[in-house]
Amino acid sequence: MNHKVSFWDRVKDWITTTDHKKIGIMYLWLSLFVAIFGGAFAGLIRAQLSTPDGQILSPILYNQMLSMHGTLMIFFVIIPALVGFGNYLVPIQIGARDMAFPKLNAFTFWILIPAALLMFGSFFVKGGTLQAGWTGYPPLTAKEFSGSPGVDMWIFGLHLAGVSSILGAINFIVTIINMRAPGMNLFKMPLLTWTWLVNASIMLVATPVLAGAISMVLTDRMLGTGFFRPAEGGDPILYQHLFWFYSHPAVYIMMLPGMGLVSMVLPAFARKKIFGYKGLVYATAGIGIIGFMVWGHHMFSTGIDPKLRMYFAFMTMIIAVPTGVKIFSWLATVWGGTIRFTTAMKFGLGFIALFIIGGMTGVTLAVIPFDVQVHDTYYVVAHLHYVLFGGSVMTILAGLFFYFPKFSGRVMSEKLGNLTFWFIFIGMNTTFLPMHWLGIMGMARRISSYPERPEFAFINQIETFGYVLILAGGILLLYNMFATLRKPRHAPADPWEINDIQEVLEWKVSSPPPPENFKTIPVIS
Amino acid sequence: MKKKTLFNYALILSLVLLAQAAWADTPITNWLQDPATPLARNVRDTFWFTIMMIMPFFLIAEGLLLYSVFKFRTKPGSKPATFHENVRLEIIWTLLPALTLIIIAIPAYGTLKRMEVPPQSDLVIEVVGHQFFWEYRYPKYDIVLVDKPLVVPVNKVITLNLTSVDVIHSWFVPAFGVKQDATPGRISNAWFQVLEEGTYKGQCAELCGELHAKMYITVKVVDQEDFEEWLAKQKVQSPPKLQTGASSS
Repeated sequence: MNHKVSFWDRVKDWITTTDHKKIGIMYLWLSLFVAIFGGAFAGLIRAQLSTPDGQILSPILYNQMLSMHGTLMIFFVIIPALVGFGNYLVPIQIGARDMAFPKLNAFTFWILIPAALLMFGSFFVKGGTLQAGWTGYPPLTAKEFSGSPGVDMWIFGLHLAGVSSILGAINFIVTIINMRAPGMNLFKMPLLTWTWLVNASIMLVATPVLAGAISMVLTDRMLGTGFFRPAEGGDPILYQHLFWFYSHPAVYIMMLPGMGLVSMVLPAFARKKIFGYKGLVYATAGIGIIGFMVWGHHMFSTGIDPKLRMYFAFMTMIIAVPTGVKIFSWLATVWGGTIRFTTAMKFGLGFIALFIIGGMTGVTLAVIPFDVQVHDTYYVVAHLHYVLFGGSVMTILAGLFFYFPKFSGRVMSEKLGNLTFWFIFIGMNTTFLPMHWLGIMGMARRISSYPERPEFAFINQIETFGYVLILAGGILLLYNMFATLRKPRHAPADPWEINDIQEVLEWKVSSPPPPENFKTIPVIS
Repeated sequence: MKKKTLFNYALILSLVLLAQAAWADTPITNWLQDPATPLARNVRDTFWFTIMMIMPFFLIAEGLLLYSVFKFRTKPGSKPATFHENVRLEIIWTLLPALTLIIIAIPAYGTLKRMEVPPQSDLVIEVVGHQFFWEYRYPKYDIVLVDKPLVVPVNKVITLNLTSVDVIHSWFVPAFGVKQDATPGRISNAWFQVLEEGTYKGQCAELCGELHAKMYITVKVVDQEDFEEWLAKQKVQSPPKLQTGASSS
């Protein structure tokens, strides 16, 4: 019998749930919700820059927008979205009924809510939110230069997000090590699970360092310590070392799980097994380890020891090798296949096309003399958006279209999905490709106007037009999702008919999977 | 579908051309078009060398992708290939990029050495970053310039000692190939030797607060005679030394 469940019962169910699937979906909703704000901030930035002497935002508000665009997109959009996919799929892929610590899992999600509230709340206190960029370099974040309590709220918000990351990482590692079904040895795990094992390890090692660095900023601000205050014998460069020791690996935190998603999508629609499974696993682990040895490449213009710079440049080049292995393995995966161009596949192939560009500009940035020239210019903005938008966001969208039927029991419209892809792919290139030229021409990043350089205006207007295309893609995606969610559930367990190629458990359980996923724990042969 | 993909790449290509057209009209010198110092020329050479080394990989990867997209689409009756590993191929695509990267690194290190080890200095200038202007001191001549263009003689080796009194700034003049952070509590170094007279522009490249965008840098490069004339004029005016509290080395 179909009982009428009241609205409040359902709300209570979502609030008190410890089901990894529901928690995963809440992560995705949070990410989508914050993305609207992060995207709107980006729109304001682009509107401001479309004329040399933009008057839409005051310089202070502009600095707040760019700081919070970065913070929100990284900590509250990309990372939660990837954690959402991981939360939902990893236990199913290894044949478990839930994460190892279901209550902890709920806690890691719910602590993100006060974290996000602190971030949004920081706009409304006297003096407003952070204005120093998402990197929050002292002394600009010191009390003398940013007196606003908004900065303290930003720090506390990051602390809470960091707690969420650390606890979540522990949960993922314990789950993957201990909860695998009989017969599921490490080298039988699907690549998404592998990327999560490596990724959670990165989070566990790196995040406490960020927490430490911003805590030192906090005590400098509140208790009068002098970690980063030159007058007290402190050193602002120390913060940069600590910050990038987290924030460079954070790039891989935002990349690896997405690479895992793409490694599920590409074989499915090329109707071929993934090429070089072991190579991909080793490349993932290699990126995870070398990722900790390259942070200094963010600091080539600070004047750190040239020998240290040579080392960091070399390691940065080395990390291109496992990244290249991944790209070539994906290309070999689609090579010779019979490709079905579903929206998920298009996002997956689009990801490869864009990520190659991001990787190539990454190699150029490892070349110190060139990096010094374009550091803190739009070239770097272009590079990082090719990695984080062309990389992470494209993989998230590939994963979303691919797993939407599994999560909801409904297949999104492929027609609208196709349009979404082209709007976002063309818009992305229109926005970020010209930025390479701006950077080489010498347009510094994080400037609210450029009245003395009117020759930058034309390219900036093209970029703003690109933003409009991305925005159109985003609106189409939202419409597609909500329209699909109103339809009845009808998707079969294996809506893409790929079970014969992919030996993974998520396509063997119903869509959406039943509570606790499996009646009897499967045995993997 | 095919048409759309083609259209898309045509769009990207036209964008690239547009960007280049806009760039060709710009009056501003930059390190790639008009490098004004030997160092900036080195940077440009290193850049083109890097681009040439990685371009084959870029073209091969994007080419393979594009080829696969057009060639391996599903048709009725088509069967996918079944290969999924090839150790030799995997070793090749690991070693070949690694080797290329080493080749890229070597000239880059040469340029780094030239950045770091300046020739015998002809003129030392102390650069002090402030929110939101630059202060230049000529210790040799006892001159202090506050929020004024830096004036230096042409063809001379100018070494900069940079620091800041408040937050981190970055002294960035693209045509010189110089970008160096000015960090409070630290002294960092840079050097340049401009080969042509003229006015060069740059700006602060490290977010330093509200008016970061307005923190311009102007460098006037003049010949030795004009420089000495300018020096004489400055000495007559003899501006008071600014008390900043910064360590003046």
